[in-house]
Amino acid sequence: MRPWADFYWTSMKTAIAGQFQYRVANYFWMIGMIAEPVIYLIVWSTVAASRGGSVGGFTPAEFAAYYIVWTLVRNMNIVFTPYGWEWRIRQGELSAMLVRPVHVLHYDVAYFAGWKVVIIVLWLPIAVILSAFFHPAFDITPLEVVVFFFAIWGAYLIRSMWQSALGAITFWTVRVSAIFELYFAAELLLSGRLVPIALLPPWAQRIADFLPFRWSFGFPIEALAGELTPEQLLTGLGIQALWIAGGIAVVSIVWRFAVRHYTAVGG
Amino acid sequence: MVRSLRVAWLYLRLGVLNELQYRVNFFVQIVQSVVALATGLAALALVFSYTQTLAGWTQPELLAVLGVYVLVGGLIKMSIQPNMNRLMEDVQGGTLDFVLTKPEDAQVLVSVREVRLWQFVDVLLGAAVLAVAVSQLGEAIGMREALLFAFALTLGGAIIYSVWLIITTGAFWIVRMEFVNELMQGIYQTGRWPVDVYPGALRLGLTFLVPVGIAITVPASALTARLTPPTLLLAVAVAAVLVTFSRWFWIYGLRHYSGASA
Amino acid sequence: MSDGPAIQVTALSKTFLVPEREAGLKAALRSLFVRKHRAVKAVDAISFSVAPGEVVGFLGPNGAGKTTTLKMLSGLLYPTAGDVRVLGFVPSRRERAFLSQITLVMGQRNQLVWDLPVVDSFDLNRAIYRIPTSDFVATRDEFVELLDLRDLLQKPVRNLSLGERMKVEIAASLLHRPRVLFLDEPTIGLDVTMQRRIRAFLAEYNRRTGATVLLTSHYMADVEALCRRVIVIHHGRILYDGDLGALVGRFTASKTIGLTVEDGAADLSAFGEVIGRDGGRIMLRVPKADATRIAGRLLAAFAVTDLTIEEPPIEDAIEQVFAQEA
Repeated sequence: MRPWADFYWTSMKTAIAGQFQYRVANYFWMIGMIAEPVIYLIVWSTVAASRGGSVGGFTPAEFAAYYIVWTLVRNMNIVFTPYGWEWRIRQGELSAMLVRPVHVLHYDVAYFAGWKVVIIVLWLPIAVILSAFFHPAFDITPLEVVVFFFAIWGAYLIRSMWQSALGAITFWTVRVSAIFELYFAAELLLSGRLVPIALLPPWAQRIADFLPFRWSFGFPIEALAGELTPEQLLTGLGIQALWIAGGIAVVSIVWRFAVRHYTAVGG
Repeated sequence: MVRSLRVAWLYLRLGVLNELQYRVNFFVQIVQSVVALATGLAALALVFSYTQTLAGWTQPELLAVLGVYVLVGGLIKMSIQPNMNRLMEDVQGGTLDFVLTKPEDAQVLVSVREVRLWQFVDVLLGAAVLAVAVSQLGEAIGMREALLFAFALTLGGAIIYSVWLIITTGAFWIVRMEFVNELMQGIYQTGRWPVDVYPGALRLGLTFLVPVGIAITVPASALTARLTPPTLLLAVAVAAVLVTFSRWFWIYGLRHYSGASA
Repeated sequence: MSDGPAIQVTALSKTFLVPEREAGLKAALRSLFVRKHRAVKAVDAISFSVAPGEVVGFLGPNGAGKTTTLKMLSGLLYPTAGDVRVLGFVPSRRERAFLSQITLVMGQRNQLVWDLPVVDSFDLNRAIYRIPTSDFVATRDEFVELLDLRDLLQKPVRNLSLGERMKVEIAASLLHRPRVLFLDEPTIGLDVTMQRRIRAFLAEYNRRTGATVLLTSHYMADVEALCRRVIVIHHGRILYDGDLGALVGRFTASKTIGLTVEDGAADLSAFGEVIGRDGGRIMLRVPKADATRIAGRLLAAFAVTDLTIEEPPIEDAIEQVFAQEA
């Protein structure tokens, strides 16, 4: 256990130090990303206004709370992109990773986890400014804060695992972007990113229940900004744990085949 | 001017020939474009499952906005974005000197070197969505509306090009500019909805500061009989100011760049 | 494990299936579903073994199968046939115990953390290879001494020159004191001084740790400085495996006579093939068997101030090997 803790801690330190050097670039990048939730927020606030103040139980202030928390969850959600594997294979970076005695995925999970620490620090002022603009309605209990803290890291791990599994397809064919696009479109619609799950038509909500997406996006947002009961909060964490475990299982199987394929055909 | 156009045409031809070698990308692009459009339509459908109008825009009118958004997005990804990305890389890598030593206007050169042919799929899809929207509206589109639309679209393209060039010119001073793509894409997304949706300060910003609002909303208005002469005049003025300013800023940046590297 | 060879390769082969692409849109579409393949033998039933502590040069033109073999030895490629053992391990199983005892350096492949000081990259490798802190500090200081890295340690990697980066890269790759080193073009693109520096370091590392080294290089100077034994590979087959000096004797039928004559413009073409003139010095290629006789005639015919009989440069010998194969 200790060597693993040492590896993770050292990698995270590396990521924090490296990314903090680029705090200005990181900031601009985060600001660019804010356009998306602000647009959703404005559109849905307009819809709510046109219906006399609320839509699907959301008032503009509740939308504001939802989409402000959204900005942090979205940032927690960013992991090594499945598009990146083609580059890693072509540049020989993957080979360098494979001759070292740590499983390739640990590098990414550890590195991006460190980056997240920087992101969270940079995010706080953004949240304050957005709140001053959009007047969110927050009703936060201590339990919600605790659950939220674990839920954003749960979201991070879910997405890390499933995107790594997705990225592994690159080992068999490099023409993967169409598959990735479909995956991301489904995620956009069914995760709570485009719109809170509660506003989706019932049939779409039912589909979302059986996919990992909402547990890496909508759930952490609702944990802090929504009105979930303590029972729902803890169940949510449990389901996250299941999706993480499932993701780890799938990823370790897929990766074993992927590496076997890679070592059979060469980079 | 004519010479510049000829250079642009030559680069376009070369770029197209180059892209024709990678025809499989065409199919990949179709999938990507269709998925993106379907997502946009789903969002639109979702909004209209709860309301009849959005800030005074009806569903077919919003569909027209989406059409223009996809169409202009295609033009951006086809030409503006790849050229500006290359410019940024050249500034960072010191390879801009190859451009500056050519006997042609540098701004023209850096703006025409790249073309992503297959992004044209987006232009076609956007046009198709527009056609559907217009037929839903039942408006008669005559020569006048078509010309007005084409004119407004040109203004929109010039506006977005100028804004992007201004920000990219910042690369002469700031080394790490990778965020520009993210930033510009983020800003461009605001054009997905008519500018009237946005509240006070934001609407002003999207009209005057980074006039994506004008670039998308005005052409869509031209086709949906919403365009008023004052709005058109405003669009002309904003485009003129931005084109002039971006030209000045580019030359100013170049002078700084040559001074710094000397 | 300590008695046997460090590397044992038996009838090792690697065949790649290369997709065949035809031109045209239809073919491109078809290739999405059905692909035609052609089998290419990159390595063809090679066998050799390397004793612990040996430094072996792996020579051959581009595409000869050098890198493929190195990749099979380091566990990056699974052999099509044959058997590989490195330190008693089967590399393709990629066990931690195996990976912790080897290193693979591929020239110009950067595995350092770009934006951070060099020490941070070192520390990351400490964590990855689970090097005990005291060993780590000792090894690091030793390398800092040997490679003269003191002034580089606190610099971000992105600010290092190409040569400095390579020094740091090699130091980082050896921090865990691997017992087997696979070096693929470790000095490529470096200037002569830096090449010499890295060569000297590798030789010293080999001397101090008794590590086994397998090295490919385009620079014969690397090979001559480090390896007594070479394996020449071409078209996936081993053409020569043995002493570097004997390679020259065995594959070249000529010697080079270098002489300085007072009449610098003298025509010597009757005595042999003039392969170079450098100031007053003339280089002649002559058949090996006739070298002494021709030298005698030259001494008799001209006012010679200096004369040497040399083996031809090793590059020529290698070229001869490949020429014979073709």
